[in-house]
Amino acid sequence: MKMRQTIRHVSLLMPLVALLGGCGDGGQKPHASVSHYQVSDKPALPAQQILNRRIAMSPRTLDPSLATGIPAFNVIQDLFEGLLTLSADGKLVPGLATSWDVSPDGKTYVFHLRPNAKWSNGKPLTAGDFVYAWRRVVDPATGAQYADSLSPVVNASAIIDGKKKPDTLGVEAVDAHTFKVQLVKPTPYFLTMLYNQYLFPLYKPAIEKWGDAWTRPEHMVSDGPFKLTEWVINGHLTLEKNPYYYGADKVLLQKEIEYPISEADSALSRYLAGDLDFVNNPAFPASDYDWLKQSVGDQIRVSPYYACAYLGMMVHKPPFNNRDLRLALNLVLNRKVLSNKLSGGMQIPAYSLFPPLPGYQQQVPDWASWPMDKRIAEARRLYKKAGYSKDHPLKVELLYMTEGVSTQNYMEAVSTMWNRALGSQITLRNEEWKVMLQDLQYKNAKLFWSAWVGDYPEPYTFAQQFLASFAMNYGSYNNPAYQKAVKAAAGELDTQQRYASYEAAERILNKDVPMIPLYFYKAPELVKPYVAGVENNVVALHLARYIYIRQHSEKGQ
Amino acid sequence: MMRFILRRVLGAIPTLWVIITLSFFMLRAAPGGPFTTQRALPPQVMANLKHMYHLDEPLWEQYLRYLGNILHGNFGPSFVYRGTSVNDLIAQGFPVDIIVGGLALLLAMLIGIPLGIKAALKQNTAWDYVPMGVAMAGISIPAFVVAPLLVLVLAVKAKWLPAGGWSGGHPLYLVLPVVSLALPMVAYMARLMRGSMVEVLNSPFIRTARAKGMPERIVIYRHALKPAMMPLISFLGPATVATLTGSIVVEQIFGLPGIGRFFVNGAMNRDYTLVMGVTILYGMLIVLFNLLADVLYGLLDPRVRLS
Repeated sequence: MKMRQTIRHVSLLMPLVALLGGCGDGGQKPHASVSHYQVSDKPALPAQQILNRRIAMSPRTLDPSLATGIPAFNVIQDLFEGLLTLSADGKLVPGLATSWDVSPDGKTYVFHLRPNAKWSNGKPLTAGDFVYAWRRVVDPATGAQYADSLSPVVNASAIIDGKKKPDTLGVEAVDAHTFKVQLVKPTPYFLTMLYNQYLFPLYKPAIEKWGDAWTRPEHMVSDGPFKLTEWVINGHLTLEKNPYYYGADKVLLQKEIEYPISEADSALSRYLAGDLDFVNNPAFPASDYDWLKQSVGDQIRVSPYYACAYLGMMVHKPPFNNRDLRLALNLVLNRKVLSNKLSGGMQIPAYSLFPPLPGYQQQVPDWASWPMDKRIAEARRLYKKAGYSKDHPLKVELLYMTEGVSTQNYMEAVSTMWNRALGSQITLRNEEWKVMLQDLQYKNAKLFWSAWVGDYPEPYTFAQQFLASFAMNYGSYNNPAYQKAVKAAAGELDTQQRYASYEAAERILNKDVPMIPLYFYKAPELVKPYVAGVENNVVALHLARYIYIRQHSEKGQ
Repeated sequence: MMRFILRRVLGAIPTLWVIITLSFFMLRAAPGGPFTTQRALPPQVMANLKHMYHLDEPLWEQYLRYLGNILHGNFGPSFVYRGTSVNDLIAQGFPVDIIVGGLALLLAMLIGIPLGIKAALKQNTAWDYVPMGVAMAGISIPAFVVAPLLVLVLAVKAKWLPAGGWSGGHPLYLVLPVVSLALPMVAYMARLMRGSMVEVLNSPFIRTARAKGMPERIVIYRHALKPAMMPLISFLGPATVATLTGSIVVEQIFGLPGIGRFFVNGAMNRDYTLVMGVTILYGMLIVLFNLLADVLYGLLDPRVRLS
């Protein structure tokens, strides 16, 4: 549930690039000036193993317990490592834990740590460092936003609520290299959570000595393949190879410099100018995809991203307490047109909530395959059945956030489709992100845009949004059958059976229509040809430990 | 003179107090807060965060606490950049603005003033029409158009200069932001200088000087230039502040770590203390540079008695 960073402002740069590029091309397709490289398979010299990479914004903190947002998450993943980590292609692999045992009831996990794991100051890393870090997260005094993610652990919820002390958390250092976790109930997604930054170990002496300032480069002690050596807020972060990392001999990159650039357009121009080697998701506005593809070709990488955009509705009060109306609105939207025309194919049309995941069978409603005229006819029937007509049209505001031109275009297209097909009078209202969040929390919006980025590759991260008890269930959807199915899935260790329960839950959502799915995201990234070790993965996380620079020379233009 | 300066400085205090008070309460009135996030916080965590930053106290108490802190030169902790004080952020970001803004202002003066003088002296010739036409374009085209154009031509196409970044203030990284910021200023200064120079050159005392057979060089540089600079001096005070504070767009486009970006991000994130700190700094700059302009005005024109 990382907060989606939607900082895609209007910029004149790309139209200008296109315009001027087009002039230079005799009015042909516009092209930016692009360098071409002669690339060898061999790694470059160690002195040249430097990666210049863009992150979407300056992290607010690099404290793993406190950090939120994807940019901080990405940087912390290079500085720290947890019990498990991800492979280059996004699969869960052992991190600091080489192996683990799970009790038959699925409630006790025992992790065996690497005996040679060390902190960046050379001190040994022990199970006690995990105990300290996990207790710190749930301690309300810490103010950790992800605290309730630890709720599967024994006593976590009571500690977060201030009813128990942090040292009662169900974690234990059995010995220096054995870390034990007691869960309240079997939690099949527990292992997939462990690569998240809030579950990373922490070096207690640094935090106790420096307080909040322990994350400054001069004080920070980390356990990952890189250590922080420089941090200019809004300027850059420099990460250098950590010689004490247990796998240091396999890490080729010597240095990584992260540049916080919020504007995708600015990031693109700096990439084209050769200042950046890697521009992460979102690397460029979707509308630039076609001309950019012609300019930089294979340097564009687009992979599916575990995220979904949808329209939420307040289902507990009129007018959206009427299921016929919700379904009518859902039927009318032509996702293929929206995705193709507005994003150049950079989105995957969505008809249900859970993004594609290997092994999981998405539950697409039957009507998704109907021809549009049949869908519209059915929508009109339902609209009328719900009591609306030309003389009595549905009048409601669609709320979305100010940031992001693409969102605005999308919302305009959506409201136009509704109004044309049904004769409704749906108008748009945009608000700044914080204002919108407050309106949602106070239930001041009946119909609203929303997006969700999965925390871990498991349907639960999406399914929980529509549980009655979930704080971000802004539409107040409450169906006991849905909750039963999700809770059954959440406690099921057998993957096949678990997915079957999620599939049942998704079918209930499709039937109830508490939200209107719009699209699944793709992650557009730009990677220079000499940057090796970058593989597509659904969480768009590219750990620097797998990346290296190949020998290369510029061929000219 | 000292009395004048002292009076102006003392007079600025109530102005700053009004700015601080209005900003403080307006910020608190904005919907959402620093800890309003998509992921709703558990109540106990939220309560602790509020307590940590004294947001659980009555508003007037927070206000008095804040006034007390700033009297001690302490702008407080940033609510969003955990572990970093607003003083640290300003100390880190403001030098960037001083360097970029200062160089832009210098460049604008070095180009704009001579251009304006030349245009005034060569009225209704190509020396007048061309620079003034370009200046008009410079005024009309905003930095967010000029800057990407420069990036496109000089960084993306020619690859002579970096397209952005700071790199510790390396001269190569300064060129594009400084030029982008200076260009509209060059245009303003050139037009202002031309206008006032033309007016001075047509005034009776210049006619008299010329009638006496004084060499043209002396007429222009000794007699005309000083009074012609007066409107420019008045313009320089607010212009300096505008350059130092108005570079937010340029900072954003070139990814400079100046305080403009802190200000914008602070406002979006409801980082109360950060926005307040930058607002106070901007307020102080306006007071300071207007005062400097007035003092300079008085020194150049003896008819203006500052005391």
